[in-house]
Amino acid sequence: MMAPFYKFGLFSEEMSLVVAFVTGIGFGFFLERAGFGNARMLAAQFYFRDLRVLKVMFTAIITAMVGLFMLSRLGYVDLSLVYLTPTFLVPQIVGGLILGVGFIIGGYCPGTSCVSAATGRLDGMVYLAGMIGGLVGFAELYPLIEKFTKITALGKVTLPQFTGIPYGVLVFAVVLMALCAFMAAEWAEQKFGGKAPGKGALLEPVLKLTPVRGFALALLGLSFIAAFAGSPYRGHAASIDTRELALSAGTKADHVSCTELADWLIEGRNDFLLVDVRDAKDFAEYHIPGAMNVPLATLSADFAARNEKVVFYSDGGIHSAQAWLLLKALGFKSSYMLFGGLEEWKDTVLFPKTPAANAPTKEQVDFARRAAVAKHFGGTPMEAMPAAAVSTPSAQPKPVPALTPVPAPVVPAPAPANAPAAAPKKRKEGC
Amino acid sequence: MTEYTVFRDNPGIDPALHAWGWEIPIYLFLGGLVAGLMIIAGVRIVASRPRERQAMVCCTIGPLVGLALLSLGMLALFLDLSHKIQVWRLYLTFQPSSPMSWGSWILLLVYPALLANALVHLPETAPALARRVPLLVTISDFLLARSRIVAGIGLANIILGVSLGIYTGILLGSLGARPLWSSAVLGPLFLFSGLSTAATLLHAILIMGMRDEERPAFADFLISSLSRLTEARAPDASIKPALTIADNSFLTIELGLLGLLLLGHLSSTEAHQQAAALLTVGPWAAPFWVFVIILGILVPLFLQTLELRNLIRHTLAPSLLVLLGGLALRFILVGAGQASHWSVLVSN
Repeated sequence: MMAPFYKFGLFSEEMSLVVAFVTGIGFGFFLERAGFGNARMLAAQFYFRDLRVLKVMFTAIITAMVGLFMLSRLGYVDLSLVYLTPTFLVPQIVGGLILGVGFIIGGYCPGTSCVSAATGRLDGMVYLAGMIGGLVGFAELYPLIEKFTKITALGKVTLPQFTGIPYGVLVFAVVLMALCAFMAAEWAEQKFGGKAPGKGALLEPVLKLTPVRGFALALLGLSFIAAFAGSPYRGHAASIDTRELALSAGTKADHVSCTELADWLIEGRNDFLLVDVRDAKDFAEYHIPGAMNVPLATLSADFAARNEKVVFYSDGGIHSAQAWLLLKALGFKSSYMLFGGLEEWKDTVLFPKTPAANAPTKEQVDFARRAAVAKHFGGTPMEAMPAAAVSTPSAQPKPVPALTPVPAPVVPAPAPANAPAAAPKKRKEGC
Repeated sequence: MTEYTVFRDNPGIDPALHAWGWEIPIYLFLGGLVAGLMIIAGVRIVASRPRERQAMVCCTIGPLVGLALLSLGMLALFLDLSHKIQVWRLYLTFQPSSPMSWGSWILLLVYPALLANALVHLPETAPALARRVPLLVTISDFLLARSRIVAGIGLANIILGVSLGIYTGILLGSLGARPLWSSAVLGPLFLFSGLSTAATLLHAILIMGMRDEERPAFADFLISSLSRLTEARAPDASIKPALTIADNSFLTIELGLLGLLLLGHLSSTEAHQQAAALLTVGPWAAPFWVFVIILGILVPLFLQTLELRNLIRHTLAPSLLVLLGGLALRFILVGAGQASHWSVLVSN
């Protein structure tokens, strides 16, 4: 099982809301228990009297950081799929200043104001109302400031990318910085707040391994390992589980049939990428509507996110099978190939064969449907009578008149401009 | 013999997905709530000592609130009717096989039963009103002197309450075209959901009636002026823990019945499985898990358990959550039920 769970389709969008709710309630509960529903507690930070907020928040940050690094290094999390806010330097500095002013005036940050309002504090409710007012105001003003919000776009920047320092070393540095900050905070609390280090605190003048010290040491140890553990991102080197691949190839779980793909395209499904691995020249000549061109030679892990469902096709089956194997090895869980490739696509979808006149009714009915599909993709049924005229000899029961062939092709998938020649080349390649 | 697949998009065969808007869920919620109020009032009046003269939240305030809420619910039901002028025709006939017919007659009987229950102890609850209308005192004296009549009123309330609570579920269940609703569990589920909302509403009324220094001044002013106007005596607060215990039991049973409903569907045909999936993972999953299960049942259960152990104060919070959960349950079951379909079998 790979995280992020949502991006790998472990639960639906609806369930993600449930997960978000449970996580949010948990977050709120612990914020409230830590005393963050009280504006005085937050204001105390700025007087260095009680630096609990700093300690809690910074602990959360370094715990998440070390956990993410370790889990992705061990292969349980795909770090490239974890959401990052893109950086827009100047707009974000301005926004940060506005947020800071609100923070100072109201005594809350957005999260703690919700906690405070939920515990029935009037100042929290006023803050929350102000926040909603601000959101509405921003949304209304957005057309005026849209240009400004887009300036100095740096894309998705992480500290390791920006500084060039290896990821693990930075993790170690941040943990070290946090631990120093915690000790400085305890010192400041004693100096300005007159609060002696509590029992089990980092600076308590007792030589004993308290839980807090144990946790600090564990974080330090893990981040020290991280400093030498290399990059948490998966590179171009790949590993494969041969048994799993053999199983999915042997059970044909790796296939999408041409008729299936045609149905998906007609339904307008957009939950998969259709990838043509032939050269650009062949692609320009003909491709299945909606396909993107990634020639096999240029295929790498970066062409799509690992949670995407990808369907490969080539002329026959060999190239798409190679692409399938490469991407499976690179960790693309839902990678598929078009069974039979373009040859099969032409035979079954674009130019389906008319069944013999005395074929069973079911076959006739199937053909009527396939003929409609062929027309949708710009092909023609071979030696076909018009679909509507498919009638059966009197010995057969009358075909059902109520049959609606296919949901009308409402999809904006354009029919290919230059459909290939009517006589496709016979060059079957096995998969 | 060949089977054909026919794509149906004829509204005559598959009715439009959302024939029922907000009116029906509101009615089902209020109907269930009133059913719960009736049962609690009936049980309380049967269990209390005869000639016991005290203001009782369950037996007087509950039925009075119930009368108002039922009228609101009936209004919603009336708004949903396509042929509003023809409504009287329901009362020209009785069709034993039609839940709709049962419902209209039950609703007609509920009013006098609720009113009778309220009248028994009304003079103690609102002395000012009783002084203006001496008839109320006469009726109350008459009833309290005849314990058999009081017991009969209580029994009638219990029976009618159970019928009203179950009928709302059977009403949906009798519509076989909607797989999500075709379950006999729906009747008891709505009954116990109604009971829990009723118990929690009475609990909330008790809490609002109590003196409380931490309450905002304007709310205290409103409540105290209302009680001065009616010269109401404070209702017996001793019943508060009993209401909370009852509510916890009702919520637990409701949770169990919801589990049975889903279990029954998941072990049935594919259409039923897909209908259950609408709630568990489908488009209704988020509101179902969040508002019905977590906020509507689990959180109030937890809070009320803490209240009973005297670890936290009795507050309005669990009551509001249970009421919200009951309302959400009706909206979700009516919405998801209308979206559940037998034609999933056809399209596969």
